[in-house]
Amino acid sequence: MNLDFEPDARQPPHPFGGHPAHHALRFALGIESYGGLNGRSRLIASKNEIMRVRKALDECAPKRLECFDTFHSSMTQKPQTDIYLDTEAALDPTALPVPTLKPGDPSDVELMAGLQAEDPEALSQLYDRYNGILKALILRVIHNEAEAEDLLQEVFLEIWSQAKNFSSKKGKPLGWMVTLARRRAIDGLRKKKAYVRAEERLQAESEQQPGAWGVHNVTEAAIHSGDARFLMGRVLNSLPEAQRATVELAFFYGMSQREIAANTNTPLGTVKTRLELGLKKIYDALKELKDEF
Amino acid sequence: MNFEQFQNRSRLYVIGALEPDELEEFEMARKEFGTKGEDFINECYTLHEAFALSLRPAKSSAALKERLMSMVKERKRETT
Repeated sequence: MNLDFEPDARQPPHPFGGHPAHHALRFALGIESYGGLNGRSRLIASKNEIMRVRKALDECAPKRLECFDTFHSSMTQKPQTDIYLDTEAALDPTALPVPTLKPGDPSDVELMAGLQAEDPEALSQLYDRYNGILKALILRVIHNEAEAEDLLQEVFLEIWSQAKNFSSKKGKPLGWMVTLARRRAIDGLRKKKAYVRAEERLQAESEQQPGAWGVHNVTEAAIHSGDARFLMGRVLNSLPEAQRATVELAFFYGMSQREIAANTNTPLGTVKTRLELGLKKIYDALKELKDEF
Repeated sequence: MNFEQFQNRSRLYVIGALEPDELEEFEMARKEFGTKGEDFINECYTLHEAFALSLRPAKSSAALKERLMSMVKERKRETT
């Protein structure tokens, strides 16, 4: 299946590259979060392009067609002419739960200390700050709203009960929480035996040139500067597609190197190299980011 | 295993992508590198944050927080 699209002169270049139809397809397949359709550009795809995307979906993941159509009907402003995706309105940052720290707000470490002292208010504040990020991560793995909410609840209960095991010497609270959330989500995925769906997405991914991996959130450090997330965005999107796809399968689907090799029909050694190089690039960029703050 | 190889393996280790035979080898190297190795592994966990932060936050229902807080308060009552 070839899903190359001609660049469209009507639209400004997407900040993360890639054709809008690819972003829409990735969204429909669950490969890309809503944020991949970045609000900085208006995304325009022609009827013909959308038909090709629908056809591709119908072939590789028919169950996702409805998702794609729903998404389009919500974003379409000129249904009688071209499909017109104006994500600026849809991605209004004030409408999304992006965490912000105000002067005087307790730090994450202080909130963790509160949790260790069994203060429910500390959990309430951590929840307000990070439930959106953790739910996005869980959703990215599990692709089911109701299950994601159940898992999110379990994760926060675990954060409450396991807070005593957290040590700031070993890392930041968010990293610890993400680790718990990811483990829960992957366990959930395995329980559902949902690898079939992962394979569908993988298949679609390997047969097209997908768009970008959007970065749309802020770390505690990055709250102080929008530049930080743009740097991360550039890094993630600068990874060669094969590396990025391999890293995604390992991180978001919890696949082992052998599983990735088998599912992508790629030699194990190549998978290993892609993973090592991809993770090293991300790690080095994070270090660079850290040094800037 | 030299330290550079250990670093590469550490990044795979934190996302759970090491194969069983690699894991065994990694654990041996981990002991060998001691604190230096542990510090590096801890640093690698920042990768988790990066992946999570690459996603746009998702909205949760208001009922979820209410349910969670009520469960937590109940648990606290039970333990005190």
